[in-house]
Amino acid sequence: MGFRRLRTTLLAAAIAAAPMIAAPAQAQQRPMVWGDSLPATLDPHAIFDVPSQFILLNAYDGLYRYQANPPQLVPWLAASHTTSADGLTWEFTLRPGIKFQDGSDLTADDVVYSFRRLLAMRRAPAAAFTPVLKPENVTAAGPLTVRFVLSSPYAPFLSAMPLVAIVNQRAIAPHVQGDDWGTAWLSANGAGSGAYRIVPETYQARVALDMERFPGHFMGWSHNQRPIESVRSRPVMETSTRVLALLRGEIDATDSYLPTDQVERVDRNPRTRVARDESMRVFIIRMNNRKPPFDNRDARLCFAHAFNYQGFNEIVLRGLVVRNAGPNPNNLWGNPPDLQPYNFDLAVARRHCDAARAAGAPLDREIEIHIQSELEQTVQAAQMFQADLRRLGVNLRIVPNTWPNITAATAQAQTTPDMWIHWVSTYFVDPENWIGQMYDSQFHGTWKASSWYTNAQVDALLRQARGSLDQAERDRLYQQATRQVVADSPDIWVYNTLNLRGLSRRVQGYQFSPVGSGGEMRLMSLEN
Amino acid sequence: MARYILRRILLTLPALFGLVILTFVLSRVIPGDPATALAGDAATPAQIADIRARYGLDRPIIEQAAIHVRQVVTGDFGRSIFSGRPVAEEIAQRLPATLELTFVALFLATALGIPLGLLAALDHNGPVDHLVRVLSVGGLAIASFWLAIMLQLYFSMDLDILPLRGRIDVALGMPPRVTGSVLIDSLLAGRLDMFASACRHIVLPAVTLALPGLATIARFTRSGVLETLQKDFVLYARAAGYGRVRLAAIYVLRNAVNVTVTQIGLLFGALISGAVAVEAVFDWPGLGTYAVQAILAADYKALLAVTLVVGVVYAVVNVVVDVVQALIDPRVAEDHR
Repeated sequence: MGFRRLRTTLLAAAIAAAPMIAAPAQAQQRPMVWGDSLPATLDPHAIFDVPSQFILLNAYDGLYRYQANPPQLVPWLAASHTTSADGLTWEFTLRPGIKFQDGSDLTADDVVYSFRRLLAMRRAPAAAFTPVLKPENVTAAGPLTVRFVLSSPYAPFLSAMPLVAIVNQRAIAPHVQGDDWGTAWLSANGAGSGAYRIVPETYQARVALDMERFPGHFMGWSHNQRPIESVRSRPVMETSTRVLALLRGEIDATDSYLPTDQVERVDRNPRTRVARDESMRVFIIRMNNRKPPFDNRDARLCFAHAFNYQGFNEIVLRGLVVRNAGPNPNNLWGNPPDLQPYNFDLAVARRHCDAARAAGAPLDREIEIHIQSELEQTVQAAQMFQADLRRLGVNLRIVPNTWPNITAATAQAQTTPDMWIHWVSTYFVDPENWIGQMYDSQFHGTWKASSWYTNAQVDALLRQARGSLDQAERDRLYQQATRQVVADSPDIWVYNTLNLRGLSRRVQGYQFSPVGSGGEMRLMSLEN
Repeated sequence: MARYILRRILLTLPALFGLVILTFVLSRVIPGDPATALAGDAATPAQIADIRARYGLDRPIIEQAAIHVRQVVTGDFGRSIFSGRPVAEEIAQRLPATLELTFVALFLATALGIPLGLLAALDHNGPVDHLVRVLSVGGLAIASFWLAIMLQLYFSMDLDILPLRGRIDVALGMPPRVTGSVLIDSLLAGRLDMFASACRHIVLPAVTLALPGLATIARFTRSGVLETLQKDFVLYARAAGYGRVRLAAIYVLRNAVNVTVTQIGLLFGALISGAVAVEAVFDWPGLGTYAVQAILAADYKALLAVTLVVGVVYAVVNVVVDVVQALIDPRVAEDHR
């Protein structure tokens, strides 16, 4: 082959290959690349954690939904609801004409199917309903009317309603295997009416998921002139990579837990910004009230005064959090307006420690605090606490652990760690989500109630608040319970989270809500 | 040779069976209860016990082990406790990414490590030898996650010439899945743009992963060549007038490289385990990150399957290494008769 012939062949090959290289880039408009976490499964009834809310808010709809911040509970698939005088019967009327993404009608039968599926599967989201709701007590009273009959009055019922995604039973039915309720299929597919349609072939658990806009969403799109057509969810595992990817423009959004030391860096970049929103996520240091020395109130008060709240919140976290005095987030109803937080005061702490020692509390034994190794803030808080407690003669040992291990250990008082650190996020916006499930002794054995606190008066107040439909009365009861719990000092409440999400400046219309952490795509648009 | 290969394969079977049992026992004695996580926030102890019973977690450990062995033998790893999907399906999605990264890293480590080791030996105590020594000590000493971040900062952020993360440009999507390797599938699909993007994306993770292997291979090759250079047949070849390059590249290297080949087999296992950190930093969706997620979620079925699959891959690679050794030096197969 002569040089000229070779050159001609290479030129022809290059011309032939050029469209293969250039065409796709020209044809596609750059989609939204969302760098937050994806859940382990797409089945909205199988899991309930912060990542799963992204699927719930975008691919599915519920009867009610939380919007804005502070979160307002607004009718969503339901147009309205009624409650019987005894608080046991709830009827929801659906909006007419709602379509699933496959074009079929969404009716009361689908709502009944969804709740029965949820209750039968008995997985995470069902826990809010199983104590008061039997599957057979969810019925269709008409094509657009769903009736729930509770076994006992339960005021947070409505607040928990957004937890439940309404699924398309006709889409799931062909894929049901045995008694699995179609879980295997729905774990990687969509069957909802939400504003975005899952593209199943792109899904890789926790790795990738593409979603396309559903033009027929029942809420319409008139609120958003330039909706996002395509969302590519690409979770970034490592914090440093996540921040660099945002700065470089490879992703449009980080998760909403941007490390405080990265805030300035992201804000300084002309292409990116940090959205700061007060959330409802309380950082707590738990004490096992059944284990000495924490069965002694003075010992607990000693620890409550020995944590350097200001140093941690203002210096370690650079003031990007808000001091929280009690178990409920500051910005939630049910909190006494004059509730005073404990302050860092080693002299006061020492007095309480001395009193506890005098009463025989074994403060000289080594006390273990379990931290979640992969969550840096839990490590920092424990280290700071360890240093200050040492000045009081208390030996705190930091034990690295993981969430599943710790929560499994909290099933019994004997196996629950002396202390451990975690957050309580917003699963539903009601004091029941915090003080109700954390300090009513009926929840002992769950991780939320892992301080094993018992106070008959508090139990009574919380149960009364749970059963009452009078909002003013509930507010009063929760305030009373909160005062008592804070006085008993069963745990150490440190701060309410300021959610920090790094965003590309081309993202417009981002609206934060503590439920879902601002991941609702239908509200956003992109500037290209 | 066929008998030798068959024997090597048969010898791996008891090892794999032991691996199945050992990993099962380990996974059940470590703390952590998936039932608690599955049951959710407000679940009562009774609800947790109910879930434990449904997933068979309350059965005697011997019974659970027997069920597990039976399932593995039939190729059924069960369903992930969290996703509800077959674990085999999830691993099939992840394994090709790890193998792709590991093979490219191994190729880089071998293609650069052997010549570097040879050059270092030929320049014994000379400048090249010192340079290779520094490189190999550094390669073994530098933590891969630190190196990964440094490479990201320099090549992606400062120079802006290589992508930061992932396997392919998000805007391009993925090629139709045939093998699961983006490099191969993009070529099969005739998408040169995707192939080019995949090549660019694999550079930094592969280099990070390859460096410790490269150092090991260079060091073993160097010592093997130095030892071989002292042999009588080398002295004879020199006396017979063989050129330095021909002597080193053909006669010395072939005799010296056998130890290196053994190391390459062992390295493969190290690379797969080393891939955990590299995959996390570069968002490489492979088995390493899948294993980490399974550990954090106490998804023991997924964890067992990953351990077993890695064990099988490792065993296969070591059989291949044994065969390659026998091909290079037929005395190896002869010794096993």
